[in-house]
Amino acid sequence: MSEQVEIAIVGAGPGGLSAALVAARAGAHVLLIDHYRQVGGQYFRQPVLPVSLTTAQRQGAALRQQVLEAGVKIYTDTVVWGIFQDRVLGLYSPKGITYVQAQVIILATGAYDRPIAFPGWTLPGVMTAGAVQTLLKEQRLVPGQRFLLTGTGPLQLVLAAELVRAGAKVVAVLEANRFLARVLRYTDALWGQWGRLGEASRSWLTLQLQRVPYRMGWGIVSVEGARQVERATIAPLDAQGYPIAGREEKLECDTVALGYGFIPFNTLARLLGVQHVWRPELGGEVPIRDAHLQTTVSQVYAVGDCAGIGGARLAQLEGQVAGYAAAIHLGYRPTTDLAALNKAVEHERRFQKMYHALFTPPPGVYALSHDDTVICRCEEITQGEIRRAIASGAHTTNEVKLLTRAGMGNCQGRMCAHLIARWVAHETGRSLEQVGGLPPRPPLVPIPVADLGRTL
Amino acid sequence: MSRNLTRFGRGETLTIIVDGTPVIAHRGETIAGALLATGRRAWRYTHHGQPRGLFCGIGVCFDCLVTVDGVPNVRACLTLVAEGMVIHTQNETSDERTS
Repeated sequence: MSEQVEIAIVGAGPGGLSAALVAARAGAHVLLIDHYRQVGGQYFRQPVLPVSLTTAQRQGAALRQQVLEAGVKIYTDTVVWGIFQDRVLGLYSPKGITYVQAQVIILATGAYDRPIAFPGWTLPGVMTAGAVQTLLKEQRLVPGQRFLLTGTGPLQLVLAAELVRAGAKVVAVLEANRFLARVLRYTDALWGQWGRLGEASRSWLTLQLQRVPYRMGWGIVSVEGARQVERATIAPLDAQGYPIAGREEKLECDTVALGYGFIPFNTLARLLGVQHVWRPELGGEVPIRDAHLQTTVSQVYAVGDCAGIGGARLAQLEGQVAGYAAAIHLGYRPTTDLAALNKAVEHERRFQKMYHALFTPPPGVYALSHDDTVICRCEEITQGEIRRAIASGAHTTNEVKLLTRAGMGNCQGRMCAHLIARWVAHETGRSLEQVGGLPPRPPLVPIPVADLGRTL
Repeated sequence: MSRNLTRFGRGETLTIIVDGTPVIAHRGETIAGALLATGRRAWRYTHHGQPRGLFCGIGVCFDCLVTVDGVPNVRACLTLVAEGMVIHTQNETSDERTS
């Protein structure tokens, strides 16, 4: 039968680790689940090779050690493929399928890079900035020779500097937003963010010394190549982010890293029936939460990027808030100073507000694909097919899926659902909230049917 | 096309078999890392004959699928290499091979 725990935390990144630590130190019986081989999430991702650690990796290793010492049980290499009545979680690991019943669930499932579609975006060599970052951080591998970085936000600067230091050639960094003119409005939000400002300026200096062009108000238009990326077409963007015709340039490169922000991993919360709202600046659909970060479903909390993109620091603070609230609910007495914690959360949210005001991708970056461009990478459904489905009456993202199979493949629409939703909204004149996303159905990840059958 | 990738210090080596050819990899590398390190970038051909490789790198997009020891559709970005691992790239093209 199901294993019983007091608190099940899904996702062992900064948010999940922090929630686990506060709750377990207060005395709660905590299970921390992650689908990767090791805890840490994307931000604290540890190298798998015998090399020296970065600052974030050292912090992550220390937090992991504290969590273990606090008595938290950890299941790695374990994916949550469904959540059922009475907070029962379906788990899948190399040992097969098991179930856990929890009194409280804390969702800390993080986010993934938001891809944008343009002619050539399926060619090998086009990858998300997160993929390049992961290969650098975890694998200590530079996956190309001539990199083009396109997207928005300071993470691009940091990645470009890391690539340069690792010996790669960065042909250009394209920043979609002309943010410099507006950044001075936010000095109060930047106050105290010395670590971030320091990292950004060190990266900037590295790029200046290596003469890497940083082009503000520019973006990708398309890439070409026979079997992989050989060159990219780029252009300056207008105020709405649309490429200005006639001003395109070509750049020789073999790798294009896309850094257009992140999409919250909200499938578990949606499966649980948690109410969501559409907040484009927070990455898309985010759960409604109270002051203790409890969702609209009783004793289900959501923290960190899965509840709205906010970064690793905010995730850690939110994790502490939810860990505190969950422990109180179970009758424990955590020692956390909640007032100080809430103050830190507010400070961090001010920074995030500035970040979103400056670095939300402009609408034009979603309009680069043509009718013959594949939108659903799994089922190879083109934009033309999607538009024809809309013309023949589909007026939600889910109806497009039923008519075309777009979003029905292995990734379950995680790459394309937001792109389809934009097309449906554009062609029908309805809002993104009205056209909706794809309703999640278990199993949320492909599981061998033989394993599923054994548990029934 | 071979590609001379910059590589940091590596630890213990092991041998994997990629489409019948022995390839040197390192303990701790993912299959995707090992393939990229040899210069391979396209290791799956879709139903429509289009080349694919690593895209999201964190197990979300399912573009980097390979067959490992006879098991198809394994995510190369998440799976670690092991001594003697037999990897086949996947050609899902419906008619003729395009590569």
